Amino acid sequence: MPFSNLPLLVYIYQIWEEEGIEAIETWNVGEQQELEGDEESKLSIALDINSTCAKVAFFIISKSMNSPTPQFVPSRLGIYEPIHQIGIWGENFKSNGNPNTSTSVIVEVDNKLENESETTSHEMLTASKNYEQEASKPIDKIQRRLAQNREAARKSRLRKKAYVQQLENSRLKLIQLEQELQRARQQGLYMGGVLEGSHIGFSGTVNSGIAAFEMEYGRWVDVQHRQICELRTALNAHISDIELRILVESGIGHYFELFRMKSTVAKADVFYVISGVWKTSAERFFSWIGGFRPSELLKVLVPQLDPLTEQQILEVCNLKQSCQQAEDALSQGMEKLQETVSSTVAGGPVDEVSYIPQVATAMEKLEALVSFVNQADHLRQETLQQMSRILTTCQAARGLLALGEYFHRLRALSTLWATRPPEPSLP
Amino acid sequence: MQQAIPYKSLPLPCIDATSHRARSTTTLGHNGRGKDVLNIVSENAVIVLARKGCCMSHVVRRLLLTLGVNPAVHEIDEENEAGILNELGTICKGTENNKMVQLPAVFIGGRLFGGLDKVMATHISGDLISVLKDAGALWL
Repeated sequence: MPFSNLPLLVYIYQIWEEEGIEAIETWNVGEQQELEGDEESKLSIALDINSTCAKVAFFIISKSMNSPTPQFVPSRLGIYEPIHQIGIWGENFKSNGNPNTSTSVIVEVDNKLENESETTSHEMLTASKNYEQEASKPIDKIQRRLAQNREAARKSRLRKKAYVQQLENSRLKLIQLEQELQRARQQGLYMGGVLEGSHIGFSGTVNSGIAAFEMEYGRWVDVQHRQICELRTALNAHISDIELRILVESGIGHYFELFRMKSTVAKADVFYVISGVWKTSAERFFSWIGGFRPSELLKVLVPQLDPLTEQQILEVCNLKQSCQQAEDALSQGMEKLQETVSSTVAGGPVDEVSYIPQVATAMEKLEALVSFVNQADHLRQETLQQMSRILTTCQAARGLLALGEYFHRLRALSTLWATRPPEPSLP
Repeated sequence: MQQAIPYKSLPLPCIDATSHRARSTTTLGHNGRGKDVLNIVSENAVIVLARKGCCMSHVVRRLLLTLGVNPAVHEIDEENEAGILNELGTICKGTENNKMVQLPAVFIGGRLFGGLDKVMATHISGDLISVLKDAGALWL
């Protein structure tokens, strides 16, 4: 047998060992008989066959190594025996140099072990008995237990997987239902019964957009947490600048990914983004047009970046000022939008029943909200990029760590707040 | 007793010659024809073209004001929008922008500068002030 088959055989052997019973069922091709009896005996019978197959595999492996001398093959069977003892079975199967039939040889051996004539099987059993007498009996028990454990673990894993899958589906359904409920309430309040028919279809797509974003954002937070830990480790380990640069780039890119996600869901429901329901309560407290304030970001970052060169201090100062100016401009634009929408909704005679024209016009004006969210995210993006231009790689890494840690702490604060003990009610 | 000279009759020195032309924050006026729009664009150091009642143009204006620039604002009616944008598109092919002109559009020194995106990005990177100075919109 060519040497190149060794990895394949070893792999097959490993699968046998790991999969235990499964392997027997898989590899005994053509084997129709069901093993009778309860699980225990089934296991033990299968185990015997399994260990025999394993030993056969040893033999094949040793043959493929083409070594005349007896090999000691360590195994999980706990058998440390010269292979030549297994050579008793040599006449029971043919060894051929054809690589393609290496697996079939093993299968063949299996079948032969089960279906062969009395003499060979008897010989087999004797040899097997001899062999097993050599090996200690407790090993069989250990074998049995190991296989049982493996099987139980496998089943447990499958059950867990199914359960988690179910949970995920239920969660998605729950989110969708909640959204629909909220939407139905809102729509019921000001749209009357006129547009109900049309909006149900729309809310379906909106809900799926929101549900998709919620899942993506959950993953985003997990990745964020992982990145922060990586940055912390990297900075403590003093890795090279080049490696650190990679981490910094992926960190910044991760924020850009969030802005992209927000842009998509803003098209589905801009109020969802602006309300900040997708964030934790403490984060929402600081929310500005659907996210963090860039000037706030700078306030968090800068103290962590010491020491800064004079040039850097100047540039950061300028950036702070530009940021503030841009923020103010956007805030004023938002105020103008509020005034416009308010006057539109309030306009028109109140003694008339139909308010659809006013509301419809207001809807048009509210489209501008999407632009505001996009512009605000764009500002955040530009601020992050400018900071990465001003700072060295190491400083940028420290900055990203500080920022990520800040948001992480805000989230923890939200959780703590939600679980704080209720205040005693006053009499 | 001498009469006090009315404030209005005194000729005041123009500190900022170009922004003086578009002193008011109200619109220059509605003008449907593309050619007229181009004239206005070339006449002003800084001008913002926007739809009527656009809140984004308000943002641009406020930002430029904080820098000390008082931009002219020209409002475009919906019906004239497509025609004007076409005209501008053909003129501006020479510049970096290959896309259609988006409103609100900012023109600096008679040339298309970009939308709110571009203004924000240039402002954050610290280059906007020098761009405005080069176009003669800022003097200090």
